[in-house]
Amino acid sequence: MPVCSENYESEIAEGRNCRSVKCKFCGSVILSPSTATFASFEFQLPLIRQNKSNETEPETETVSFFWSVSDMYTFQNVGFSHTVGNNKYLACADCEAGPIGYHDLTNKTSFVALSRVQHS
Amino acid sequence: MAKKTYDLLFKLLLIGDSGVGKTCILFRFSDDAFTTTFISTIGIDFKIKTVELRGKKIKLQIWDTAGQERFHTITTSYYRGAMGIMLVYDITNEKSFENIVKWLRNIDEHANEDVEKMILGNKCDMSDKRTVSKERGETIAREHGIRFMETSAKANINIDKAFNDLAEAILDKTAGREPGDHVDRVLVDRKQQSNTSRSCCNN
Ligand SMILES: Nc1nc2c(ncn2[C@@H]2O[C@H](COP(=O)(O)OP(=O)(O)OP(=O)(O)O)[C@@H](O)[C@H]2O)c(=O)[nH]1
Ligand SMILES: [Mg+2]
Repeated sequence: MPVCSENYESEIAEGRNCRSVKCKFCGSVILSPSTATFASFEFQLPLIRQNKSNETEPETETVSFFWSVSDMYTFQNVGFSHTVGNNKYLACADCEAGPIGYHDLTNKTSFVALSRVQHS
Repeated sequence: MAKKTYDLLFKLLLIGDSGVGKTCILFRFSDDAFTTTFISTIGIDFKIKTVELRGKKIKLQIWDTAGQERFHTITTSYYRGAMGIMLVYDITNEKSFENIVKWLRNIDEHANEDVEKMILGNKCDMSDKRTVSKERGETIAREHGIRFMETSAKANINIDKAFNDLAEAILDKTAGREPGDHVDRVLVDRKQQSNTSRSCCNN
């Protein structure tokens, strides 16, 4: 079981992230403490690494815990992918690992998956 | 509501001929032979980066532009909101350098008149294939009163510095408009010092 699913409750204080949200791979700061709100729902998020043979149908996994950000300029550092359907996917701005979450164009809200980032 | 986490927001645009390396400047990941990342398949539209300059938290929103665009098809809407433009050519591609003048004319016609510009001579890691000398880049930049730098997206040379310098130039303009806003000259002084010490060594 991923670490964050076990301990995610300790990352939340008054509905917000109590620590910085950083890239798992390079440590780039994505969100400062207390700038995002916790949200729980299910979303099929594509895996970071994909086999080259199935680019048309990316492999996904169900992700349930997110940091929700309503103003994209709240992010310290982040990359937005080109649009796919109603979404843009989020990536680390420095090493480009991703998707670490997605941006919903209909409500202009960004969701960072707790399982795809580290907290410190 | 969450409090505002920054002081200023600068929108920057990367433009230049197809193949000069705009996308690589923004997106530095390279695939290996068998797997790819989901993100590199879709591509990055823009990045948000936070820098701190003179005690101010500045958000940079950096946009890549589509490869098929040609300067004669680019009009006002394309530049809307841009406060800084990175104009990129390829030091191994003469044509891309000649087109810098056309891009500049296009920017003058269509972009906000006080947009801050910077010229980048990219792919400076490929010295064996170089066809445009650094001096020519410096000359054209001087003629137009624009900053200039040679970069390599591949070897990660001067990329972060270029964005920092462009942001600083925009900040200078912004600060100049605010009465009583002291422009900190520490950085400039330091540059001058290092120049002085270098000329000392030459003596
Ligand atoms: N050696 C070297 N190659 C580079 C560098 N930057 C980009 N390239 C290569 O140049 C080619 C074109 O780079 P892109 O970033 O796709 O160019 P672009 O300006 O985005 O082109 P368009 O999207 O068509 O406008 C690619 O094969 C890159 O690998 C660099 O700094 N050094
Ligand atoms: Mg491109």
